[in-house]
Amino acid sequence: MSSPAVSARLRSLRPVSLALLLVAATYLGFLSGYPGGFGPVLAAAGVVLAAGLRVGAPRSVAVFAPVPVLVALGVEAVAAPVGFGTELVAGLAGLAFLVWLADDPSRPVGGAARSLPTVAVPALALGIAWSSALFLPSGAVPLGVAGGLLALTLAVVAFLVGRPVVFDQEEG
Amino acid sequence: MSESPTRSLHWRPLTPLVLSTGAALVLAAVVGRNPTPLFLALPLLLAPVAAALAGPRSAPSVRVDLSVEGAAAEVKLEGVVVPKPGVDARDLVVEVDRPSSLEGDPLPTFDYSKGQIRFRANWTAPEPTITEINEPKVLWRDAVGLVERETDLAAAPIVVSRYPPELLRIGAVRLEHTTLLPGETPSRRIGESGEFHGIRLARPEDPPRQINWRASARAGRALANEYDLDKTGDLLLILDARPTPLGREVDARLFAIARAAAAGLSDSFLRVKSRVGLGVFGEFLDVVPLSTGRTQRIRIETALRQARLSSVAAPAERCAVAARHRFPPGLTTVVFSSLSDDTSEDLSPYLRRRGFPVVVLSPSPLPIIAAASPLSGADEELAGRIARLVRRDRIARAWEDSPTIDWDDYWSLGRFVEFVRRPRLRRA
Repeated sequence: MSSPAVSARLRSLRPVSLALLLVAATYLGFLSGYPGGFGPVLAAAGVVLAAGLRVGAPRSVAVFAPVPVLVALGVEAVAAPVGFGTELVAGLAGLAFLVWLADDPSRPVGGAARSLPTVAVPALALGIAWSSALFLPSGAVPLGVAGGLLALTLAVVAFLVGRPVVFDQEEG
Repeated sequence: MSESPTRSLHWRPLTPLVLSTGAALVLAAVVGRNPTPLFLALPLLLAPVAAALAGPRSAPSVRVDLSVEGAAAEVKLEGVVVPKPGVDARDLVVEVDRPSSLEGDPLPTFDYSKGQIRFRANWTAPEPTITEINEPKVLWRDAVGLVERETDLAAAPIVVSRYPPELLRIGAVRLEHTTLLPGETPSRRIGESGEFHGIRLARPEDPPRQINWRASARAGRALANEYDLDKTGDLLLILDARPTPLGREVDARLFAIARAAAAGLSDSFLRVKSRVGLGVFGEFLDVVPLSTGRTQRIRIETALRQARLSSVAAPAERCAVAARHRFPPGLTTVVFSSLSDDTSEDLSPYLRRRGFPVVVLSPSPLPIIAAASPLSGADEELAGRIARLVRRDRIARAWEDSPTIDWDDYWSLGRFVEFVRRPRLRRA
């Protein structure tokens, strides 16, 4: 295969966001504590499969590319032990997943940069949540407050998703 | 008045997947009393809402310019999509539908920049066709691909006509002039030479005698004379849209080819300001009355695009009677019929009896049938020979009523053009 063809193939993989996701997911897999290196292998397999589906599969199949990554991340996060570092890595893996989604090869390049407004809000929320967990004293009361806030957040998200019209603005 | 519901925000299929994963992780965190899944869930739950808030709050305005180039079978579609200021063109997704009568890669190539999207598609028309390329669907989609919104599109569909190139010049043929326009006096001159109207840019199909050489030399570019009125005559085009034993699919392809040829003929004659009328005969005769000019061209083009095969084969006499009511007798009449059965053969004798001198242009079904034939080798050759014999017999019988041109090479109408250029033969 000629050099330009290889280069084009490599570019269609969008290597920067792919590497970011691979590193975050593999590290989360490493921290997840599965025996025999199962965590990193699962993470790497999920990411590679997703990248392969995106680049090589027909469009109807390529839409399912995020599924292996989500499964791998979910399996690792559930098994991961409690720890501030692990929590941060899990959050960063979620953000890396969003950036990887934005770098879709079927769309024009620069998607990761243009996704900044979308990724910035969860990143900000993640920062607040993680620093709260790190610096605030924990106990039964804060756990209850956090649980309540979480339930409220879920209800708000469900409401917004159920009524997309609330995002519309009347034209003046 | 609120925005049309179809233009409000839509969640893409990825959103439920991301949200359900996030919800499952929250549940796992609560059940397992482990905050790690919660931190992974947080970006997944918030991203769709953030994406919706980051995008335009109403349908963004987008202008689309389409153009079609190419000759004969080649159809080169080019388009430019320009969003209103403030919307990044790279966040737009353009979906172009290739008409079923064209072939080639259905996906155009896109060239994105921040301010506009250029796209081009190279398609081919395997047979003569008149079809419409619909305006593309343009969606705003957030960079992550979670939400999308339809745009407020300013665009119009574009018509593609592809017909044999010989038809471009057939308008120069002198037809019988049956009725006079108010205040019109018959011209003694033949061809495109009515009252001088003005000078315009020359077109490739302009004959040399129409080029204004002095004006061209002065301007440094080719200019041609234009005339007010060319008294070349009137033409009636009748398309037989009745079903035949060949089956719906073959009938539809032959009818599409006939529609394209009719579009080419009307274009060519209207360009030299002849009057052209159209009739599509299915169950009844749908007509576009005789007229001339650019409006008539659009009328005929629209009628041809909308013409569909009938499911009922009406008697040919109905067509002749209706034609006699709507058009003056003596009009040079071109009938497009596949002549695939006895019913389709009887159209021209009835029209002749009602005073219309008919020329039948018959698109042959043999190339289509041969291409779909499951036979091979000697069997195929034998079947082809028999089919050709049957076809020749039909054409010969049709000739007894009116001149009939067998049209088996769909991209060439040389035989037809040659025939109509010989008035003596035409009157036969």
